[in-house]
Amino acid sequence: MIGTIANILFIILFPLFFTGCINRTKSFWGGRQGPSLFQPYRDFVKLLKKGAVISRTTSFIFAMAPSVTAASVVSAALFVPLLGKTSFMSFDIDFVLFAYMLAAGKFFTIIGAMDTGSSFEGMGASREAAFSALVEPGFFIILGSLAFIVNASSFSEIMNLSSVSPDLRIIITVLSSIALFIMLLAEGCRVPVDDPNTHLELTMIHEVMVLDNSGPDLAFIMYASALKMVLIGSLIANIIIPADLHPLISAAAFISIHLAIAALIGTVESLLARLRMTHIPQFILYMNSIAMVISAVIVLYVSGGLR
Amino acid sequence: MTSLYLPGIFVILSGSFISLLFPDKMKGAVTSLCIGAGAASISVFAFNVLMSGEPATFILNLSEPIGAVRITVDMLSAFFTLFIAIMSFTSSLYSIGYMKEYRDKGKTFAAHFFFLPVMVSSMLLVVAVQNVLAFLIIWEIMSLSSFFLLVFDNEKEETFKAGINYLVAMHIGVIFLISGFTILSINSGSQDFNSFKAVFTEHNELTNILFIIFFAGFGTKAGFVPFHTWLPRAHPAAPSHISGLMSGVMIKTGIYGILRIITLIPEPTFFMAYFILLISLFTGIFGIANALAQKNLKKILAYSSIENIGIIGIGIGVGLLGLAYNIESLTILGFSGALFHVVNHSIFKSLLFFAAGGVYKATHILNIEKMGGLIKSMKFSAVFFLFGALAISGLPPFNGFIGEFFIYWSMIQGIQGGTVPLIVAMIVSLAGLAFIGAMSLICFTNLFSIVFLGNPRSTFHSPVTEVTAAMKGAMIFQCVLIAAIGLAPVYAFKIILAAAGIFHGADPLTEPVFIFNTLGSLTTGILIFTVTSAGFILLRFLLLRNKNVSQFKTWDCGYQRGNSRMQYSSSSFTSPFLKLVKPLINVKEKIREPEGLFPGYASYKSSTEDIFEAWIINPAIKVIEKFLNLFRWIQNGNTQHYILYGLIFLILTTIWIMAASK
Repeated sequence: MIGTIANILFIILFPLFFTGCINRTKSFWGGRQGPSLFQPYRDFVKLLKKGAVISRTTSFIFAMAPSVTAASVVSAALFVPLLGKTSFMSFDIDFVLFAYMLAAGKFFTIIGAMDTGSSFEGMGASREAAFSALVEPGFFIILGSLAFIVNASSFSEIMNLSSVSPDLRIIITVLSSIALFIMLLAEGCRVPVDDPNTHLELTMIHEVMVLDNSGPDLAFIMYASALKMVLIGSLIANIIIPADLHPLISAAAFISIHLAIAALIGTVESLLARLRMTHIPQFILYMNSIAMVISAVIVLYVSGGLR
Repeated sequence: MTSLYLPGIFVILSGSFISLLFPDKMKGAVTSLCIGAGAASISVFAFNVLMSGEPATFILNLSEPIGAVRITVDMLSAFFTLFIAIMSFTSSLYSIGYMKEYRDKGKTFAAHFFFLPVMVSSMLLVVAVQNVLAFLIIWEIMSLSSFFLLVFDNEKEETFKAGINYLVAMHIGVIFLISGFTILSINSGSQDFNSFKAVFTEHNELTNILFIIFFAGFGTKAGFVPFHTWLPRAHPAAPSHISGLMSGVMIKTGIYGILRIITLIPEPTFFMAYFILLISLFTGIFGIANALAQKNLKKILAYSSIENIGIIGIGIGVGLLGLAYNIESLTILGFSGALFHVVNHSIFKSLLFFAAGGVYKATHILNIEKMGGLIKSMKFSAVFFLFGALAISGLPPFNGFIGEFFIYWSMIQGIQGGTVPLIVAMIVSLAGLAFIGAMSLICFTNLFSIVFLGNPRSTFHSPVTEVTAAMKGAMIFQCVLIAAIGLAPVYAFKIILAAAGIFHGADPLTEPVFIFNTLGSLTTGILIFTVTSAGFILLRFLLLRNKNVSQFKTWDCGYQRGNSRMQYSSSSFTSPFLKLVKPLINVKEKIREPEGLFPGYASYKSSTEDIFEAWIINPAIKVIEKFLNLFRWIQNGNTQHYILYGLIFLILTTIWIMAASK
């Protein structure tokens, strides 16, 4: 019961703090004092209180898109093991529903952007669609391979690697953390895939898709994209954290890993330039290659080829 | 209940002749009524067969050479009968509205409503008849009647060409079927399908080669690569309800054929399973990649049908692997996924074709680059299309997701249950199916946005109007089915399970509990998503209720001269992704670049070619043509020569008979 309440609070409160941490890291590297860690909350509340400016070109699609996107990410959070490795719901191959719910959210983000008739937003939508299509196979290869090694098929069982022999586990943990981190950068639209702070519409991906959104819609979008990053980060945290820890220690480790990921994102964003648009697919395909390596290692290990 | 079947077929078929008696104004309604009445009784019958688990058999004693024809509606046939009947009814309902403006076409119009019930009843019979000769005859009637329906717009050269292309493709397919069935009946000495089981047992070595022959024959109908080339030509040419009927229902008879052959093979081989899995994966990826490159609304839908046939094939392949490796859960889930997708695809694809037909009626163009902003004048059609687009992209909460979920599930079962080749195959298919899903998301966000959203990209000659009531009714019916299967998959699964039971030989009434448990949780998850979405929309409404919501133009970055032609087009939307899948698509570009300091004229033209048609089929046809040209001198138009041929023939036969009698 306490676990469930903690998880609900985590979903509601943590994502914006996560964004705050990324921004704070960036200000650290930039030598600035930077905004408070809680600044995203203030922005969020302010946006909720505001009215909206809506384009004359748009239809009801534009009005419902941010809400559906936010709903899709919140519903996807049901299946991911969070604090203390517990999830709200768990059943066979719930990760497929997880991936497809996020895809449904993406569908609405894209058509919402296209509804404005703006070529900038079309550009962003087209890029987002193309790049996120490359992430999917890698994600499924990783999950499929892990499902094989732990002989289970729901998210919370797959993320419990305690039955795997220690040496294989180290390899899997390192490789899948890297692969999922690339997925996080791509899906969360962070540098080097996308720069959320860019000033030029032509180089944006995610930010340009929401140029016309304002007020509560923008607040929903802000929250949804933060929560999406946290969810993918949770997968990394779950793979790293052993299952037999005390729930409190496990929860503390979970939060710390998230903070570390936020710091890492901020660091990457401060030290790296974003990639040229034509090089982004290559970067995302690294994730697929790593996923294939994971699956090869696991299959070889189990069939005795690596011993 | 068995008394409902043959009379139902008869009622549908009678629609052909009854419609001839009525004036043009009422033809559509009369045909639709006959098909509706027949379909209703047949669906009740088929549903009953599925629920009771007892096949129904009818014997028709026809004169020689056909002889006694056995019609058995077993679980597989009942399943196909059920959805063919329902989908045919919605198509005929839609046709009432769609055909209205073609009433002045006279004989062609009458012929259309004559052939519609013929096609429907032949599709219904083809999935039930269990006798080779009767099967082939009905198969041929189905191909021919659909050809006549396809070439409705026969003054257009393009339509006629597409029709001939279709006819030729179907007959190449039928050659494979005839040879396959001939080998089987010679070996078994009977024309009955059941007798073939013994042939497959006795001649193990024939199994693989026969399977390939049948796959080629039925695959031509279904649209597996490389037999798919007729689809992208035929669908844009046909009237929309015919495209819907062909793409949603008729190509599934090809899938039925493949499944029927599988039921006749007592021990499916590994080769069959990996063969169909590999071809299907490629079909899926190839189909959707090409759909992305097209600009013709119905051509996009046609290529997406190829993709969906690929997804169905993946399910069949996984199910076959389950049979070959003897893993029961793999078999159930794989075949259930395939059958689920068969039904789902027939619902949402005909819906999409119906909505596309409405768009065509309103704008009289099919080039999506010239459309845009139609959501303002065609709100209903836009919503219908959105339903179809979400469902076909396999997104929750709609039905397309359920079928793909089952196929993913079967793959995960395969990963856990097997040897290294199986695991590798499953992981590859997992990635392939995920990639197909992601691509169809690009394809259908593109299609929906370019057609319905933004500003109109051109001015239309007549005002764009919403579709008529009959068309709306048909589409609402499809939308309800989409939502019902998506939100409560358990009921549909019970029907599917009854049909899928035929493959693993177990008692169809024993229910695999683990599937139902998961399905329950899945439904909860999907419902939560639906409710949360509604909740967020409500929250937004409440938050904005007393606020200042103003309207303004779209953000244009300070540029004041934007116009609707500057919107992102379909070509620009798909271009970043198409660059990545270049090898699958042959895009031809013609560019005239602006020149000089004050450039005057510049142009850009692009067109796509099907690589299989361009690189394999067309060269093959050229070779065949060259070879046949060698015999041209025989047909020289000289009467004396023809008489000489007759004389030579007579002499030769005389010699032959004399030689034989000795």
